[in-house]
Amino acid sequence: MNNIAKRWPGAGVTEIPYWVYTDKDVYESELDRIWYGDHWLYAGLEAEVPQVGSYRTTTLGERQVIVVRSAQDQISVLENRCRHRGVQICQARSGKLTGITCPYHQWSYALDGTLQGVPFRRGIKGKGGMSRDFSPTDHGLLRLKVEVVNGMIWASFSDRTPPFREYIGDRLWSSYERIVSGRRLRVVGYNRQFIPANWKLLIENIRDPYHGALLHVFLPTFGLFRPDQASEMRMDETGRHGSLMSLPARDPGAAGHGEDITRDIAVDASLQLADKRLIEAVKELKGDETLGSCCVFPSVILLQQINALQVRHIIPKGPDGCELVWTHFGFEEDDEAMRQRRVRHGNLFGPAGLVSVDDSEVLAMAQRGFKAAEEGGAAIVQMGTGGRETGNEGHMATESAIRGLYQYYREVMGL
Amino acid sequence: MTVLQENPITAFDREAIRAFYDAYFDALDEGRLEEWPDFFAAECRYRIISRENFEAGQGLCIMQADSKGMLTDRVRAILKTQVYAPRYYRRFYSGLRVVKASGKEWDVRQNVLIVQTLINKPSEILGCGVGHDRLVSNESGQLKFVDRTLILDTEMIRNSVIYPA
Repeated sequence: MNNIAKRWPGAGVTEIPYWVYTDKDVYESELDRIWYGDHWLYAGLEAEVPQVGSYRTTTLGERQVIVVRSAQDQISVLENRCRHRGVQICQARSGKLTGITCPYHQWSYALDGTLQGVPFRRGIKGKGGMSRDFSPTDHGLLRLKVEVVNGMIWASFSDRTPPFREYIGDRLWSSYERIVSGRRLRVVGYNRQFIPANWKLLIENIRDPYHGALLHVFLPTFGLFRPDQASEMRMDETGRHGSLMSLPARDPGAAGHGEDITRDIAVDASLQLADKRLIEAVKELKGDETLGSCCVFPSVILLQQINALQVRHIIPKGPDGCELVWTHFGFEEDDEAMRQRRVRHGNLFGPAGLVSVDDSEVLAMAQRGFKAAEEGGAAIVQMGTGGRETGNEGHMATESAIRGLYQYYREVMGL
Repeated sequence: MTVLQENPITAFDREAIRAFYDAYFDALDEGRLEEWPDFFAAECRYRIISRENFEAGQGLCIMQADSKGMLTDRVRAILKTQVYAPRYYRRFYSGLRVVKASGKEWDVRQNVLIVQTLINKPSEILGCGVGHDRLVSNESGQLKFVDRTLILDTEMIRNSVIYPA
């Protein structure tokens, strides 16, 4: 049972009621059933915690965790909250630890979260101290379930979450493994922005090929994308994960590894860039896709566009907003030219992204629309496959993957 | 600090540098974006980068250009292709300091505060940071940026950065 007083309009998913984006009770229930439920959440990259003791703090749902390499071949994800008085222990974003000690009363934990020391546990000169039945083994830091998959660290608050490979499903695995194949990753940098829009709008956006060449005027103007380009929208069997692949406008398969593919990207441009290096790209991944995304529900969009590789990590902040943390990465063996290329391609993304600003701005406009609307208003999601089905499609004029998402959403939310 | 004693600059140079920044921020605050690339030398670099990335030696920027052409491309995108709610930026700079002077080249720092005003909204701080810049005097005696790097302390951007600073 949930505490949501609202009822979903009708039986289908061709109309999404505005209240899923604005209602506080819906949001609270999402935290329980989705973020802290049987789902894998993105906790970071293995490359970010290279040595035993290296750690980073991050937020999963609304809860802060410490991601730490607790042994050579072990990464622990621990809730950043002392079991004694609830103090958030680690304040820095990253660093190196030998153990985890709360500053308040010096309770100390091992890197895997085991409680190791409680000062004056036996009292002072026999007086005071903890009760005899206090059990340190029951008071370690809350430890999440963890899986490291091709360099990405996944964590779950639930023990029932199935193994990651099964969670993501076969169809999405190829989209995932195409970007993070197991090659050692290197961080190119981070960007952080607060987007005043409900978190679900971000994952809908990347499953919505319909908006690609319409909202993002930059892409067709400078020839990076055409609505008639071959593309594929994939979903897993549940509908919760989604992946958009876009093939070059011409000559797929013509370029070999490391070859320049700029001419396959930039066609029919109405304007020429003054400096083409902004989009100059070389082939580096399996397949010829110029855009390949893999949205792992609910926390992450993994995306390749030309030579920019990135994790977009979503942190929900109430129904009306979310933080988006961008981690751009490359590979350890990248040369200087590739590192510069990735930085240049970074111009398309983030808070000042030549392309992504359109999304974060228009999603904020959507949220403002929902907030101001009358009771009973709903978004229409009827493009593609007769407007009702949720299958995988090979064209852009479809919203089927948004319907797929909401079929799963209704199920998991009991709506 | 003894930097200025080691690298003396004339009052004339200091005045010229101040006038250059006044003109730069005036052009931006007034929205004369098409003038923005002209403040740069032909070979130049422009960056708005988070302090986090800058200090870690990581290259990713918020806004970046490797050439005057890329600045022009950014301006065309802002004016012609990007979709965003209308807004004003006003940039406040202070503590202009010349940390190195050699011949016709100056390394200059200054603190920068960017205040954003969206339609129907109160003004708010978009970001604060420090400029680490290099200026040159070209053959006609005009000052130009060869490097303009604005390092932002601001950890969480309020949605978008549309205009340069």
